Amino acid sequence: MLKQGLSLSKSPNPLLASPEVIKKHYEALGYVCSDAIATAVFLATQLQKPILIEGPPGVGKTELAKKTAQHLATQLIRLQCYEGLDEAKALYEWKYGKQLLYTQLLKDQLGDVLRGAKGLEASVERLHQFGDIFYSEEFLEARPLLQAMQQEQAPVLLIDEIDKSDQEFEAFLLEILSDYQVSIPEIGTVKARSRPIVMLTSNNTRELGDALKRRCLHLYIPFPGAELESRIVASQVPELSEVLRNSVVAFVEQLRTMALKKVPAVSETIDWARALVLLNVTELDRQWVEDTLNLLLKFQDDIELVQPEINQLLVDIKQTIPRSNG
Amino acid sequence: MDKPLVDFIQALRHHGLPISPAETLDALNAAALLGVAERERLRAALGLTLAKTVAHRGVLEQLFDQFFGLETASDASANAATNSPAPNLTGAIPPERINAPLGQLLLKNSLAEQQRLMVTAAEAAGAQEMKLFLQKSRVSSKILLAMGDRELQLELQGLQAEGQQLALVVELQTRRQQLLDRIKDYVEQQYFLYSSGRGQQLTEATLYSAKLSHAEQVDQLQLKRLVQKIAKKLASLHSRRRRVHQRGLLDVRKTIAANAAFDGYLFHTRWKSTRIDRPKVMVICDVSGSVAAYARFLLLFVYSLQEVLPRVRSFVFSNQLAEVSNCFRDMSADAALAMISERWGNGSTDYGRALVEFSDIALADIDHKTQVIMLGDARNNYDDGHSEIWQTIYSRAQRVLWLNPEERSRWNSGDSIMASYAPYCSLLEPCNTLRDMERILGRLLKYSA
Repeated sequence: MLKQGLSLSKSPNPLLASPEVIKKHYEALGYVCSDAIATAVFLATQLQKPILIEGPPGVGKTELAKKTAQHLATQLIRLQCYEGLDEAKALYEWKYGKQLLYTQLLKDQLGDVLRGAKGLEASVERLHQFGDIFYSEEFLEARPLLQAMQQEQAPVLLIDEIDKSDQEFEAFLLEILSDYQVSIPEIGTVKARSRPIVMLTSNNTRELGDALKRRCLHLYIPFPGAELESRIVASQVPELSEVLRNSVVAFVEQLRTMALKKVPAVSETIDWARALVLLNVTELDRQWVEDTLNLLLKFQDDIELVQPEINQLLVDIKQTIPRSNG
Repeated sequence: MDKPLVDFIQALRHHGLPISPAETLDALNAAALLGVAERERLRAALGLTLAKTVAHRGVLEQLFDQFFGLETASDASANAATNSPAPNLTGAIPPERINAPLGQLLLKNSLAEQQRLMVTAAEAAGAQEMKLFLQKSRVSSKILLAMGDRELQLELQGLQAEGQQLALVVELQTRRQQLLDRIKDYVEQQYFLYSSGRGQQLTEATLYSAKLSHAEQVDQLQLKRLVQKIAKKLASLHSRRRRVHQRGLLDVRKTIAANAAFDGYLFHTRWKSTRIDRPKVMVICDVSGSVAAYARFLLLFVYSLQEVLPRVRSFVFSNQLAEVSNCFRDMSADAALAMISERWGNGSTDYGRALVEFSDIALADIDHKTQVIMLGDARNNYDDGHSEIWQTIYSRAQRVLWLNPEERSRWNSGDSIMASYAPYCSLLEPCNTLRDMERILGRLLKYSA
């Protein structure tokens, strides 16, 4: 078992040598990740398995794929899923227009080819000699999935919001995810030139099939803890003073415990922090919070719910911060 | 290292995680890659490879602590004990003076060795195969016996009777008690890991095929959960997209028609599309004493299928009939069921009147897409059953199902008038377990699919 496990990593990439290395490099790129995320990326590359990433919106699911591509200096190929997405949009399509145009242009040539052939059978026989030129790779429009397999250097393939697609599409993905190959009837089986790193994200609008889950590593990214979030904000908005950063993070943390329609995610914390820097705010007070609350909360109901509580929340975070520092 | 991991996976399976062999291999590969030295990293790796939903992740975290936490803790204390054996006692009483092997083992005071023997004995005693918590104490004493308790007891009794080495006897008794406590802890842990989930599975399997009228009050909650579980399974089986188009077979007739305007050149394609209708269902339930238990579950079942059966109308009756579709829409299932049995559950059954009232309310809405399900024992207290109304319903509806909670042999006995309705049923079946209900409702969904 041990041998089989190790033989999977034939060409160890120094950039992906261990979870620690991955974590360090990602941090340098401005993506502060938890141990679990680093381990997931490490295992995904070593075991050559897709990662299925779940978690509330705005915790950096898509960002992880982007940073992975950036880290490996490779291409990011993205497939956004939606209801009704099918093979033609995801995998390949024939360039019908080009095929039609070429047949029109080549009409004369076809006449030359067929000249002298007597009867239908002989004509068809002649045509057969020239092969299926109109169904060759020249006329194949590669969509994201096929593109990912044609790359020389292993790309990062991001299949975003897989839960929005239909169950049929999910079933269709299985062949690609387990064997990294697809069959195109007119051409044959296309094998991936290099195995892409596949990441799927899901917001859990519907339960995904067991077969798909079985083939993937399952990474759940929750809202980060205060300490991690503080580091994320620090890396994204370095201009923000430490004191203010701690109160920003503590304030958002408090909001997440309230019964809101949509709780603020990490991306909203970052937006808010940026806004506070632009406004030259030095300390959180009632007025500033009230004026900028719409950056954190996206529903009027939520804003109305939070507004009367702001004073209390500010008092609360004043109490928590010294403790977390000490 | 593989063995403990495989054991851990076994424990996870007993707690309801559907882990496939492929995932087991993934987990083993991951553990081999990362090593097992770092506890948190191993936990993360196992979480990634084995738990595929958030709920499963929670179970895994909890079991991980139980499984690996306890093991390491006992190892640590065992090491500590071997390094510093209790000095005063070993000095005072040389171990040769007791003959029973267990006595010598206890005197040696080596926890590691005791642990090792205990685990071997536990495996033989079937600690991993317990089904009910009642077995715990039996398994504990079995383990103690297997470790040689009988000989020790005999020898201790002998020594006590002769009045020799009383201090040693007392000391050994205490240590034996300590060992027993540890065995009990161990068995408790094993039960939690391997069997507590299995007990649940066993009850579920029993309830699944038990007659619903015999179900105890205590089982109600579990039955309800089971109904919802089965309903979810059925729903996901049948909830695929209801319309397939833009793929599959070319519809030649429609394509030619669509391109008539282009002088017969085919520009637009038309594909054969299949539309699958969701069935319109009407449920009529007898809620008088004898059938009430079944009606509860049928209604619960039907409403748990909301996702695939959105258009259900339900009616209940004993001597009067009433539509209760809205009760289920507005209230929780529990509240609705309680209200139904309170308000309509007490009359004497009158199928004739119920059918007359049903045809007043709903007959006009029955069309060739409607399926009517009747649940009742057709015991009509010797009144006129108005089977001609049932015949009208049968002729108008797509299908008519009659589910009878009684055994076939009891139909038409006493005041049962099943025979008068029987000719007008597309399907007439006894239905008294959840298994029956699942089968029949599954067929209803399949028929419409």
